[in-house]
Amino acid sequence: MELAVATLVNALALSSIYIVVALGFVLVFGILNILNIAHGAIYMISGYIGWQLVMGFGLNQWLGLLLTVLVVGALGIFLEKFCFRPQAGDFNRTLIVCVAIVMILQTTIVVTVGYKVQSLPAFASGILRAGPLSVSAERLVTFLISTALLAVMVWLINRTKLGQQIQAIAQNREGAGLQGININRISGLTCAMGCGLAAVAGCLMGAYLNLGAFMGDYILVKALMIVILSGIGSIGGIFFAGLIIGGLDATLPVFLSGAISQAIAVGIIVIVMVFRPRGFFGREMEM
Amino acid sequence: MIEKQISTRGRKLPKPAVYGGIVIILALLPLFIKSNYWLHVLILTLIYIIVTASFRLIAISGQFSLAHAAFMGIGAYTSAVLSRWFGWPVWLTIPLGALMAMVIGAFVGYPFARLRAVYYALVSLFFGIGVLQIINALGIWTGSYQGLTGIPPIFGASKIPYYYFFLGLTSLCLLVMYRFEFCRIGTTLKAIAQSYLVAGSVGVNEIRYRVLALAAGCFFAGLAGACYAQYNLVLSNLSFNFMATLWIVMYAIIGGLNSFAGPIIGAAVLIIIPEFARDLKMYTPYVAAALLLIVVYVIPQGLAGLPEVIRSWYIRRKAKRVSHAS
Repeated sequence: MELAVATLVNALALSSIYIVVALGFVLVFGILNILNIAHGAIYMISGYIGWQLVMGFGLNQWLGLLLTVLVVGALGIFLEKFCFRPQAGDFNRTLIVCVAIVMILQTTIVVTVGYKVQSLPAFASGILRAGPLSVSAERLVTFLISTALLAVMVWLINRTKLGQQIQAIAQNREGAGLQGININRISGLTCAMGCGLAAVAGCLMGAYLNLGAFMGDYILVKALMIVILSGIGSIGGIFFAGLIIGGLDATLPVFLSGAISQAIAVGIIVIVMVFRPRGFFGREMEM
Repeated sequence: MIEKQISTRGRKLPKPAVYGGIVIILALLPLFIKSNYWLHVLILTLIYIIVTASFRLIAISGQFSLAHAAFMGIGAYTSAVLSRWFGWPVWLTIPLGALMAMVIGAFVGYPFARLRAVYYALVSLFFGIGVLQIINALGIWTGSYQGLTGIPPIFGASKIPYYYFFLGLTSLCLLVMYRFEFCRIGTTLKAIAQSYLVAGSVGVNEIRYRVLALAAGCFFAGLAGACYAQYNLVLSNLSFNFMATLWIVMYAIIGGLNSFAGPIIGAAVLIIIPEFARDLKMYTPYVAAALLLIVVYVIPQGLAGLPEVIRSWYIRRKAKRVSHAS
């Protein structure tokens, strides 16, 4: 019972972080039409920015989180304007630029911070007790922040003018432009939002586990898995796929060795991709 | 997409004298280089030239495979496990490693050939991750996370026979790949990359050719991997993970995916140049990133297209001067 509850809470907290990262990734994928390999590195660097703000400058951690989101959002606007837009949707060239960004960010961290593992202070400490069950408050806070963020994103996409414009661009870029939507502005904003989501996830993960220069690779693979499983264009799909992947991640290692459980998860994804490339909830990208 | 960049334009025949001269110069190098370390660097360069050129062989068919290091790993581990645990002779296990990579490549090539562009890149990425996790899961057989040691070597302790062996192997592989690309098959592959619909409409069996390209590319990757295993004598799965694939992709793109010489130049530049500044090895990725950005923003043809860019810039300047004078 104890183990089951702990596993469930772990699964929820882990999947909520995955979902936030995947949501940022799929926003950029759907609107800008690029496979942003650098998303994991942006997530990683925002963890370190938060760490520097909180541990280095001694800021309050919530303020640090907010500032990190703003800084990384600005980075997103910069990336969209100077790195992604000039490539005009060319897959090869975008991929190269993304790889270059990954290299620069990772090397910067390796050179300045080194391989020593760091971590952010917990956003909430203590253990909540309800009868015989005990739940770490921090994991609960992680889950709550991510869920709130998800709800805000759903509201933003479905209920606001900005969200309508984003959906229009995702459906048909030229058509949206003809209707008077400023595509460049929306693209920049979307990229900033994607990076901001990655920033929140990076800070949360920095407090939940710890920070490392190569933590972005792992989360990128998870985000890709979620996007493949769900398909593009459905936030609800991202949510369910995230729960599935996070659940698999938290439960399989309880029974099997780490490598085998990873291999099983990857095998499932490969089979899904071969037989149903458009995912279970969304539409297929046309490239 | 990749299709647009690779042209089907026929190329001038190589001047055999030039290439022969390069091989002879390389063959004479051990007379001057006494340091074992530099020979090691040159051998690694030769190995990665095979791998990168074979990556390009797959890329010309429009398949952007992100599992190339994993196929190299399949060859390496097959050869290493057979010779280490079963005691099979090295000369038998190396071809078996290459064949294993080719068979697996052909086997997964069929289902993967349904997918294109981003989806192909993604599915191959996941396949590569899966292969690595299976290698990890095999425990003592493949050394898991600790790495596999005690692999029997091809030659003795001296690096010089290895150097000549790899020089010969690389020349042979490049020759085969060159013939493969500039015969009917290669042209068909480029046609598929440009437009699979047009290629299909003139009677090209698209899937068969794409699988053929993948199998051929994987064969060379597996061969290089197997030889690497029997040369390095220690295998760590870090050499075959996603980062390793990205480095291979970077060698190919920085050198230029458009030309046959591109991957060779890219691998040589990116492996040899950082060795001159060994103390600053941490900063190597900065060099690679800077080169990548230069390639994207300044010379889209890659380093192999550099002479072309300089020539056209020179002609333009000359023309401007002439128009000013008149």
